[in-house]
Amino acid sequence: MLFALTPPASRSYHWCVMELSRRRFAQVAGTALAGGRLAGQQTPITAQQVIDRVGNAGSPDGIKAGDAGATVTGIAVTAMATMDVLARAAREKANLLITLEPVFFGAGDAPLAGDPVCAAKREFIRHNGMVIWRFSDYWRARKPDPFAAGLARTLAWTPYRTGDDPFRYEVPELTIGALSDVLLKRLNARAGIRVVGDPRTQVRRITLLPGSTPLSAMLKALPECDVVIAGETREWESVEYAQDTVASGQKKGLIMVGRVLSEEPGMNLCAEWLKTLVPEVPVRWIPAGDAYWRPAV
Amino acid sequence: MTANEVVERIRKNIGIPWNEKSYRDTFKVGDPNTEVKGIATTFMATLDLIQRARAAGLNFVITHEPTFWSDRDTVSELANDPIYKFKVDYCARNKMVVWRYHDHIHSRPPDLIWVGLVRSLGWQDRQTSGSRNRFTFPETTLGALAADIQRRMNVRALRVVGDPSAKVSSAAVGMGYNIPRATPDVDVVIGGENPEAGGPFDDTEYILDAAYFGRNKGQIVLGHAISEEPGMEDCANWLRTFVTEVQIQFIRAGEPFWSPKA
Repeated sequence: MLFALTPPASRSYHWCVMELSRRRFAQVAGTALAGGRLAGQQTPITAQQVIDRVGNAGSPDGIKAGDAGATVTGIAVTAMATMDVLARAAREKANLLITLEPVFFGAGDAPLAGDPVCAAKREFIRHNGMVIWRFSDYWRARKPDPFAAGLARTLAWTPYRTGDDPFRYEVPELTIGALSDVLLKRLNARAGIRVVGDPRTQVRRITLLPGSTPLSAMLKALPECDVVIAGETREWESVEYAQDTVASGQKKGLIMVGRVLSEEPGMNLCAEWLKTLVPEVPVRWIPAGDAYWRPAV
Repeated sequence: MTANEVVERIRKNIGIPWNEKSYRDTFKVGDPNTEVKGIATTFMATLDLIQRARAAGLNFVITHEPTFWSDRDTVSELANDPIYKFKVDYCARNKMVVWRYHDHIHSRPPDLIWVGLVRSLGWQDRQTSGSRNRFTFPETTLGALAADIQRRMNVRALRVVGDPSAKVSSAAVGMGYNIPRATPDVDVVIGGENPEAGGPFDDTEYILDAAYFGRNKGQIVLGHAISEEPGMEDCANWLRTFVTEVQIQFIRAGEPFWSPKA
């Protein structure tokens, strides 16, 4: 799926970089096709060159570990750079790892001094010559919203989109219970899905709020649809609003699938986009999966 | 006895100076001079809870968490919201009064929300001497510990991170929107609610990575309501020691979630 490359107004500089990069990419790709294939090798590209080609939005985006000058053997894209994801990337010879969420356990992404888990993760990254690049603000600002569009595609709802609004869909009527099962299956969820509302309620109009969203998003979304599928919202804010909506007699609901599960399809789209931008090396999406489980009752 | 007189009596009996700057512990709905027929204490004044309190003949709700979906119960943007109108109309029609009791129930000694959480975990005897929120227990697995908590606290949507077979014998516990930061010296972190990623410290990612390196670590996410509701029963018991004129009941707002079976 291709995206209209509408730049966010405040980031016109990066937009220019991206446009230039795309032109440069055409040249590089041409060169690679002319010589690289016959010779059985690609033009080497460094992590910094990949980053420059994409454009860099600044904090919190940026290299969090590794050497910007390292030659890239492959790119892995994920919503959360857990050790499990890093190990899979290393096995598949992808040494540039692009992550939406932090790699070192918090918004600041600062390595924890003296912490053995953090030290072991850093050592794994160093030993495998990996570069970790946080790519968050820029991708989040992209239009149309790649997280909503990606989630919809994973759920096979793209044909049901309301006009050109990537957040809203009108699907064939189903119950909230059946919808929860669809999400469980399509998102490979374990215990991360939590639902407010009667499982027997029939729904048709769905709004997607991937990631972490504030009350204002819920106040706008829920009155205009039957069910909101969110990543995460707060229990004393949007969750209570959804509870009250149901208690007022409206046949509605809220399904939270978890922040990472909701964002992962958007990073799959990111991987696909990067394939077109960086043809020199393999690009793959490595989802972090559902972190949560629950004991059998 | 009016709702305001109940609050005055709480202020008199709380044993700590009242923080007049608290924007949380104030009336949220109704006329403070309404005559109280009965008091319901609860975790959160959801519409459903208010309806059940009214059905039980209790017109004064004392809630730990907000009524109008934000910490400050900001209603300035809600005038045209259909659910806001419904909730406000319902309360007005039924002369319901809601007062929030959050900051002072936490800061009075002992914090009754904490007392309720420790009691419902069944961990009164497991507290370590060093720190209030640290507990030790005979070695078990993360899976067995989580199953025990799930059963004791009757949680439907419990969420656990880490290797179920990890051997654990210590825990750090938080309540509400707080799960203690995972550190090398504690096996399990437990709490109500936290951001999954991108917060000040991401327990979820840390626990996953610790498990990858074979460390015995776990995170148990109870849910905000599950972690803080029990203390509002302690609140009802405490109120009864100095408010004897009207009936006082603890009514559960309840866990908001159910979870599909994988």
